[in-house]
Amino acid sequence: MVFDTARRGFLLLTLVFFLLPFLWLAMTAYKPSNAIFSIPPHLLFTPTLDQFRNALRIFDVGSLIISSLLIAGGSMLLSLILGVPAGYALARSTHPAAMGVAYFFMTIRMVPAVAALIPFYLLMRDIGLIGSWFSVVLINCVLNTAFVSWMMYSYFRSLPKELEEAALTDGCRQFGAFWKVSLPAVRSGIIASALFCVLFSWNDFLFAMFLTRLDSKPISVALLSAYGTKDITWGTLGALAHFSTVPIVLIVLVLNRYFVQGLTKGIN
Amino acid sequence: MNLTRSVESKAATGFSPVPFATRRKFFLLAMALPAVAYVIALGVFPLVKGMWYSLYEYNLLKPARTHFVGIDNYINLLADADFRGAIANTVIFTVFSVAIELVFGFVIALALWRDDRFNRVCLTLILVPVTITPLVVGLIFKGLLLADYGMVGYYLAQWGITDPRGLFATPSTALATLIFIDIWEWTPLVALILLAGLKALPGDLLEAAAVDGATAWRTFRSITLPLMLPAVMLALTLRTIDAFRVFDSVFVTTGGGPGNSTNTLMVYAVKEGLSFFNIGKASAISNIALLCVAIIAICFILMIRHFDKKANGR
Repeated sequence: MVFDTARRGFLLLTLVFFLLPFLWLAMTAYKPSNAIFSIPPHLLFTPTLDQFRNALRIFDVGSLIISSLLIAGGSMLLSLILGVPAGYALARSTHPAAMGVAYFFMTIRMVPAVAALIPFYLLMRDIGLIGSWFSVVLINCVLNTAFVSWMMYSYFRSLPKELEEAALTDGCRQFGAFWKVSLPAVRSGIIASALFCVLFSWNDFLFAMFLTRLDSKPISVALLSAYGTKDITWGTLGALAHFSTVPIVLIVLVLNRYFVQGLTKGIN
Repeated sequence: MNLTRSVESKAATGFSPVPFATRRKFFLLAMALPAVAYVIALGVFPLVKGMWYSLYEYNLLKPARTHFVGIDNYINLLADADFRGAIANTVIFTVFSVAIELVFGFVIALALWRDDRFNRVCLTLILVPVTITPLVVGLIFKGLLLADYGMVGYYLAQWGITDPRGLFATPSTALATLIFIDIWEWTPLVALILLAGLKALPGDLLEAAAVDGATAWRTFRSITLPLMLPAVMLALTLRTIDAFRVFDSVFVTTGGGPGNSTNTLMVYAVKEGLSFFNIGKASAISNIALLCVAIIAICFILMIRHFDKKANGR
């Protein structure tokens, strides 16, 4: 009993440690500017929406969010289209090369981004795609496709083969068996994969920073360029960070089951 | 095996003269090929090209001077004090953040082990740092720790606990602060991986130990820890590789400074390549980082195999 109380107390303290800095940022966006710069800093203030008004005035928030959505959504779709069938093939193939390909995908996920970025930048420059959000989708897709293939490989492997074999004997075509039988059975794996793709691409700024231009930059790059500019306060930055952080945190909290399951599955 | 064969041959006679096994092979190949081709074309091809660039003196600002120099870029790096500093920073950063994350993560995982409502809610909320944009994580801590008006940094400086310039602006504390940020961001992930390992432990073995009157410590040392080794190794591998590639949080908070006190390999490579357009040198740095990551990955995979063999007797 005493032990249990101590355990819960420890967990509550841990929660405070992991949540307070985030709440601080959230709070900053509702502070009037003079409260942010007050010396000494204090906790009490009258909430205001001024910072959000400032952020909307200074930044074209709509177009930033659209770019972020195009990059995250585009790379998610393309990675699923490429990665899910590959994961299926790796799980079902008995050829020794299949294991090698699975390891190859895992290795690609571990490559330091910079190593690929510089040659990729020059490649995009040569084919004239620099400055477009599509180039960011293309490079995000390399890492995401490798990740999705690896993760779906684990999901399909835990699915009994007999299910498809029965469909095949019933006269289903190979693709039909995959599409109608196997795919619906790993729905949760697909949701988890999609979630991770969106998370990776939405949170990336290194690729986007060097590959996009003004009209195609996502919200993460805007945050970086805003920070350090003289006329932008922490409040405005906090408001802008809301647009970038709150959607993704909410999605993960809502789809929390798939997030945890996907991580566990990707591990085993 | 025989059963599947007969099923396959039956299906084969139904459709076409090509045997089922062959069609199956082609089908699976066709399913895997687009992804493999894509990753090779847009992932492996640039990497190989990067290796090629590293053998050139190649600066985008001085294109006329581009010429083949062999391994000169690598030799110059070995003599480069900034580069050696970057390696040292990266290694210190990786060792300390991963070690602390593992210990702290294990304690949290043990506390979250029992499956009740309180723990489920805790686990969900604790994962928030993992999902926040790493860039925003950097901004949060920059804002909190600023010495002039940061909610925490101001008092730390006022009370004389830190240098008046603040944690990020002092060479002796900047790297430690970055390690702290990494711990904040990624300990929850380590805790989750280890929790998954704990939940997969055989319950009957732990019960038997309890029936035999083993102390909690003895059970932990002789049963929990050895069986947890694969999960621990996995957390260790993932985090070591990610910490070694650290970029976002450093770039946003200190940009490698003050001086070169927080310059990591990735930050150094990005600065050389995409700020100074020194493609040859930047490629050489990236390739060394790539080699290090590969060595780390291979070592850990071999160790995981070794522990797996020990645990499963295979």
